Amino acid sequence: MKLIKLSASALAIAAISATAASARDQVQVAGSSTVLPYANIVAELFGENFDFPTPVVESGGSSAGLKKFCEGVGENTVDIANSSRSIREKEIKACAENGVTDIIEVRIGYDGIVFASDINGPAYTAFTEAQWYTALAQEIVVDGALVTNPNTTWADVDASLPAEEIQAFIPGTKHGTREVFEEKVLLAGCEATGALDAMMNELGMSEDDAETACMSVRTDGRSVDIDGDYTETLARIESNPTGVGVFGLSFYENNTSKLKVATMSGVSPSTETIATGEYPVSRPLFFYIKKAHFGVIPGLKEYASFFVNDAVAGPGGPLSEYGLTPDPELGATQSMIENEETMASGS
Amino acid sequence: MTDASASPVSPAAAPSAPSSLYEQSSRTKKRNASEKRFRAYGLTAIAVGLMSLVVLLISILGNGLPSFKQTYIVMDVELRADVLDKNGNRDPADIAKVMTFGYTPLIKQAAQAMVQEMGSDIEGLTDKMIGDMISKEAAGQLRNYVMKNPDMIGTTQQFKFLANGRIDGYFKGRVTMESAALDGNVTPEQLMAADEMAAAGYMTTAINPGFLTAPDASDQRPEAAGLGVAILGSVYMMLVVLVLALPIGVAASIYLEEFAPKNWVTDVIEVNISNLAAVPSIVFGILGLAIFINFAHLPQSAPVVGGLVLTLMTLPTIIISTRASLKSVPPSIKDAALGVGASKMQTVFHHVLPLAMPGILTGAIIGLAQALGETAPLLLIGMVAFVREYPGMPPEGLFDPSTALPVQVYNWTQRSDPAFFERASGAIIVLLVMLVLMNLVAIILRRRFERRW
Amino acid sequence: MPGIMLFLILCAISATGYVMGRRKAATISGNDNRALHSNIPFHGANVALAVFLAGVLAMVGGSIIQSVVWQEDTSNTLAVVLTLFAAAVAFFVTFQRISLEYRARNVTEKLVKGVLIAAASIAILTTVGIVMSMLFETVNFFKQYSIADFFFGTNWTPRFQGESDLGMLPLLWGTMYVSFIALLFAVPVGLFAAIYLAEYAGPKVRGVAKPLLEVLAGIPTIVYGLFALITVGPMLRDYFAQPLGLSDSGSSVMTAGLVMGIMLIPFVSSLSDDIINAVPQAMRDGSYGLGATKSETIKQVVIPAALPGIVGAVLLAASRAIGETMIVVLGAGAAARLSLNPFEAMTTVTVKIVSQLTGDTDFASPETLVAFALGITLFVITLGLNVLALYIVRKYREQYE
Repeated sequence: MKLIKLSASALAIAAISATAASARDQVQVAGSSTVLPYANIVAELFGENFDFPTPVVESGGSSAGLKKFCEGVGENTVDIANSSRSIREKEIKACAENGVTDIIEVRIGYDGIVFASDINGPAYTAFTEAQWYTALAQEIVVDGALVTNPNTTWADVDASLPAEEIQAFIPGTKHGTREVFEEKVLLAGCEATGALDAMMNELGMSEDDAETACMSVRTDGRSVDIDGDYTETLARIESNPTGVGVFGLSFYENNTSKLKVATMSGVSPSTETIATGEYPVSRPLFFYIKKAHFGVIPGLKEYASFFVNDAVAGPGGPLSEYGLTPDPELGATQSMIENEETMASGS
Repeated sequence: MTDASASPVSPAAAPSAPSSLYEQSSRTKKRNASEKRFRAYGLTAIAVGLMSLVVLLISILGNGLPSFKQTYIVMDVELRADVLDKNGNRDPADIAKVMTFGYTPLIKQAAQAMVQEMGSDIEGLTDKMIGDMISKEAAGQLRNYVMKNPDMIGTTQQFKFLANGRIDGYFKGRVTMESAALDGNVTPEQLMAADEMAAAGYMTTAINPGFLTAPDASDQRPEAAGLGVAILGSVYMMLVVLVLALPIGVAASIYLEEFAPKNWVTDVIEVNISNLAAVPSIVFGILGLAIFINFAHLPQSAPVVGGLVLTLMTLPTIIISTRASLKSVPPSIKDAALGVGASKMQTVFHHVLPLAMPGILTGAIIGLAQALGETAPLLLIGMVAFVREYPGMPPEGLFDPSTALPVQVYNWTQRSDPAFFERASGAIIVLLVMLVLMNLVAIILRRRFERRW
Repeated sequence: MPGIMLFLILCAISATGYVMGRRKAATISGNDNRALHSNIPFHGANVALAVFLAGVLAMVGGSIIQSVVWQEDTSNTLAVVLTLFAAAVAFFVTFQRISLEYRARNVTEKLVKGVLIAAASIAILTTVGIVMSMLFETVNFFKQYSIADFFFGTNWTPRFQGESDLGMLPLLWGTMYVSFIALLFAVPVGLFAAIYLAEYAGPKVRGVAKPLLEVLAGIPTIVYGLFALITVGPMLRDYFAQPLGLSDSGSSVMTAGLVMGIMLIPFVSSLSDDIINAVPQAMRDGSYGLGATKSETIKQVVIPAALPGIVGAVLLAASRAIGETMIVVLGAGAAARLSLNPFEAMTTVTVKIVSQLTGDTDFASPETLVAFALGITLFVITLGLNVLALYIVRKYREQYE
């Protein structure tokens, strides 16, 4: 009877899944969607050039990646977590509780964050941090008092900017990019306009409160949080050509026929200006390796050292070609992986 | 009556009484008009629904059809022994030391030689531009060939490489001379060279079987990305869902419909099932992560985990439709079976179930089709991944990492190269074709075995 | 030993059990069915089923103990030993019991019934699993964040630096608003489509239109999301929101609501169509006999009779709308806001579950854990809706026949 056959195979699957005990032969990576494209490129090259199977790279955000990473040691846990921010103290503690103690931190390079708009849209060609702060802050200081941001057009902010309604597409609060945006653009702008000083000295706010006020983004719809990825930001700009969006450098470089980029404080973004530190808005990207998996998962160490190899992550390599700014201290990272230095022993 | 209509004495005298059968009274007119309006509302509603469908399909087809074709470049590459095998002993271990980075210059030189041979004189066309017209996948392809045929080192062979995604986009109308002038990744000179190559027959656009069979490719090679792993993964997951959800669902429905006493426990189960049918799918992802991966220690990114999660998700759908088909078997059949001395169990398994089978299968297929298109729960159990190795044969293959079709769509829409958008739409077409096929099977089953009692 | 091998061995033992059980029953009865309480095959099936069930139970139990309790992933000795032992015990016990009076059929049927009950209770287990998998993290969340602020807070502003406001009211409002607009579109369209299909359309039109409409339900929601973002959003903004001076945003509650409405049409229409079809023809004939037109019959006889079912279908569509994610992510935006203007961007609970779980925030922080609290809240809301739907359907259902 058909039904009995089906039921039998059903139970078979259930039973097999319960007793599965298969060894894993490929490296498993999870984590940040910002690091993902770079990890994909390296994984693909690794699979082409080594006898090991191509590593599996999951995306799901730094948080989910590190959480899986910290789940424990063993074949059914991931070997590497990609992250667009450094691991937090709390997370290291949570890791240790689950037995993940020896973690190797690898900085693969820097990710530039650029401000771009529709190529046929208004001439947003030069911005400063102060302009972004004045345009997007929830409350700004006017005549020594904190008032709800009254600016409605970019020209209100600075006469040199186009007289267009302020419409900014910034990363949502789930993205690590948002943190960089808040700290390196809004807070920096807040300081540059003197608003931070004014809040602390004239309005008597504590430093923490003043900084929080600096980094609070207006919620009246002029600033739009994008919880999706840059393709969504691009789609919004295409449907709303007077808007300005925040993108990763590599995304912009892949879409230069649709977007034009603005300078920040006079510096135009490129892997060179980011490497020298002239272009101010960038952040390091990382991945974290479980030392305990070295020698257990075939190809893990080879993958890690291949990733930071000069031919891959160095200047002119495929990663910098794709928009990653090479880390000037790549050599130190290479020897760190070679010697398997963990975070505790390394620093 | 005919008299009355023949001699209209005073039409205003009797407005309410119908003076003629040939002439409708105002009330009848009103009622008939309202009837027509009502019917029109219904037609409009259907038209709105179908219009939405047509608009959606057109937009998908328009975006996705080009992904089934791809631009190729045919060229002769000299496999130089001084680059590929410096020791000259054809030792595979030595040859393996030359990475794809070593092969890239060979391909670039071959491309430059080809352009020279064509006698092209495009101003501003640099050697680097020529080299960049070929997909980065070519180096890997060449290395694989040399690793398999080490004896060919030193000879010149003809290869068919993929063209770079932007060049491909030019032939598909996605990239134009104007956009290329602004684009950092392609130049108008390259496009002119591409035109010349196409005229000389080196560059052709052909059907791309790789789109259905090749694995995913990284963000730098949209032209090489395919759906092979995703299709396999989806099929495996559907296998798991079919084999688990159908028997369990049928068993549960038989119990609830035929055996369960009517008490609060049955009520709780029923509320439960209809609630599960409406629980946001993302919640099943949280469940799958907690139970199958963190508790039962099943591997990440495996079709078996995806299948189990989707099984739990489709069970309610299958149970609901199965119960409806069991209910539609007339009581007289049961009574007859019980009357000749069959036990309740025998009645159900020998008579009710076979008669309800077509309906059950239809419901199961519709449930499967729903599961096939589901994205959100797979997001949390590691199926949104970059996987290039094909999973093995079942049952072991069920534990190998893989992705699934809807997840691949989601993944590709996130990539920065616009060429992936076209491929995502192409993947949607594949997904829709699978869905339509499954629904067709369901419709045929329904037509063939449907019984009216 | 690989799981598949173990399973095959178990199947072999079970098959042997069937053959031997049959043979013993045949021998003791002298191949005469009438001498036995139960037919000969039942005796075989009884042994086989008992062996199989005991084996599978032991296999699953053993491997759970091994991998979860002992944390040993590489071997499955315990599972193998337990399985074979259990199978052997079941074999001998049931085989010994075969006699002329043994009620093999009743026992077999009880076993089968047990299997059926187990299958039915998987639904309950799933629910328990869902609640358990979220409850633990939710408790963690409420240790770090006040319950009152979560449920009654009107601000949703997670921050990386901590001290976030995580009030769920704006999210809940967005969810309700989007679902409301979706239903406002889907219910009339779906209902009229159902009425037309059930009452007016000929079999040919029906045979084509119904499956086509159902295709709308099968299209992956991510496709709808892209449709909302690229087509519907800009259109609504340029032709409605901007001329009316309501908003400049391309993504809005209206966009997401309309597109979601399209998706929900088949949920309403298919279910309502079935329900309308279930209204007995005699009721319609009665109405026609009194001189009512077709539309009057539908409005005054058919719809009232089918109403409970239709309400159920609408509530089902409502819970779909509440749980929908991708369309809202792309169509409605990610701004948590309490506003009445349907052309402004808002966000929903599901969107924030996904974004907080797949984001870059610290995984032990309230900003990430809030996703679980949101998940449980959503689960409770859909549960409430379903209980309500079931109650309405039961209370007002008319029984015909």
